[in-house]
Amino acid sequence: MLASYPDIRVTSPSFVVNSPSEAVDPATDTLSDHELMLAVRDGELDALGELFERHHGPLFGFLVKLTGQRTAAEDIVQTVFQRMLKYRHTYRDEGSFTAWMYHLGRRCAADYFRRHQATPAATDPADLQDHPDEAPHAGENAAVRDDHALLHTALNRLDRDDREVLLLSRFQELSFAEIAGILECSVGAAKVRAHRALRELRDVYFQLQKQKLS
Amino acid sequence: MNCTETQERLPDELSGRLDPAETAEVRAHLAACPVCRHEHSALGQTLSALDTLPIASPSPALRRNCYAMLEAEKRSLAPTRAAAARPSRPAHFSILRWILAPAGVAALVCGGFFAGTRFAPPAPAPGLDPATKQELAELRARVDSVGQLVGMSLLQQRSTSERLQNVLATLDQRNPGQKVIADLIGSLALDPSTNVRLSALDALYPHSNQPIVRSGVLATLPREQNPLVQVAMIDFLVAARSHEAVPALEQLARNDTIDHAVREAAKRGLAQL
Repeated sequence: MLASYPDIRVTSPSFVVNSPSEAVDPATDTLSDHELMLAVRDGELDALGELFERHHGPLFGFLVKLTGQRTAAEDIVQTVFQRMLKYRHTYRDEGSFTAWMYHLGRRCAADYFRRHQATPAATDPADLQDHPDEAPHAGENAAVRDDHALLHTALNRLDRDDREVLLLSRFQELSFAEIAGILECSVGAAKVRAHRALRELRDVYFQLQKQKLS
Repeated sequence: MNCTETQERLPDELSGRLDPAETAEVRAHLAACPVCRHEHSALGQTLSALDTLPIASPSPALRRNCYAMLEAEKRSLAPTRAAAARPSRPAHFSILRWILAPAGVAALVCGGFFAGTRFAPPAPAPGLDPATKQELAELRARVDSVGQLVGMSLLQQRSTSERLQNVLATLDQRNPGQKVIADLIGSLALDPSTNVRLSALDALYPHSNQPIVRSGVLATLPREQNPLVQVAMIDFLVAARSHEAVPALEQLARNDTIDHAVREAAKRGLAQL
């Protein structure tokens, strides 16, 4: 029982990010993600504000493409940062912050998919701007939007695991070593899965293009 | 490089993940092989299409919610931090207390001895009268309590780990004497270390059936400032079914200035009692 009462460190606040409108302490600019997360782990919770500013955009982009829903992606991003706070003590000295963040993101997304497996997904009004209307579009802009919609459909037809590895390898500027850490597999396996997912996407995408033309 | 080897490397070549030597080999093969060139072109088109997907931006609500969550977490930590800071704040007072308390007690004893030998009437012969006997008993009790104070002061002069070991050593004793129980209650009430106080409370658990233990913990509860120890004490009193703790728990449950976890523990305890 005694071992479960750690000493609680009290340190002076060196990171001052009290609200989104306030400027970030310049001292945090020079710190790496890893150093910031170590500070959060040691009780400097304001350092999480800087990490949020650096990473919430790419994480949101990844999750929008993974789930196909903006609202769900926002919820998952919030849950990821919530878990970072909750499980900050588990962050390891030798860890990579980005890999840890996507690891948490993947777990939160899996929870989301599990919860929504049985329930039909409602149309998210926020998604409509990214998709073409029912009426035919004229001109190049409409064609581009059609093409995006086609690619979204192709992505959604992939297995979730394939979609995940493809998005991690293409958009998140992660090495295959980091991706392997996130997916908890070997580097070779991560690479094979990413390549297979890309070929799968190509097949579905081209098939959809053919169907559209015919 | 044959077709299979080339096609295995195409995604990496298109993503710029191949080293220059391998890139040159792949490109040399592509120049000579229309099948692989077709595969290269199809994968390249797919990747280009992926790259042109618009970059989604989250709504301002996400930032607002995340910062609100951060502030809430900071607020929830504030009382714990304040409690953790409490023992370290008057560190110099603690040191002075450790030095001055035993010295003061020793001076008191010496002064008493000196005054007693110089001014007190000669010692009465044993078995004289009941009033003298009672006076002697009271004097003996005072000396005992002075002895306990000296013991406690000396105990606190030791390091935290030594004091912790002392407390833990009592866990092995199946039937500790009243002095050990009194020492444990003393540690719970007076020790500056949270861990020592918590371990003293642990050591008192097997003896919670003794009224003196329950009233000792109950008397110490209002003095305690650390939420961890407060919650542990409440749990102790509830586990001991100490109904006399109800007024104190009611007071804690109503007190808005104390830690939320303590209030909740008090409310839980009241429900169980």
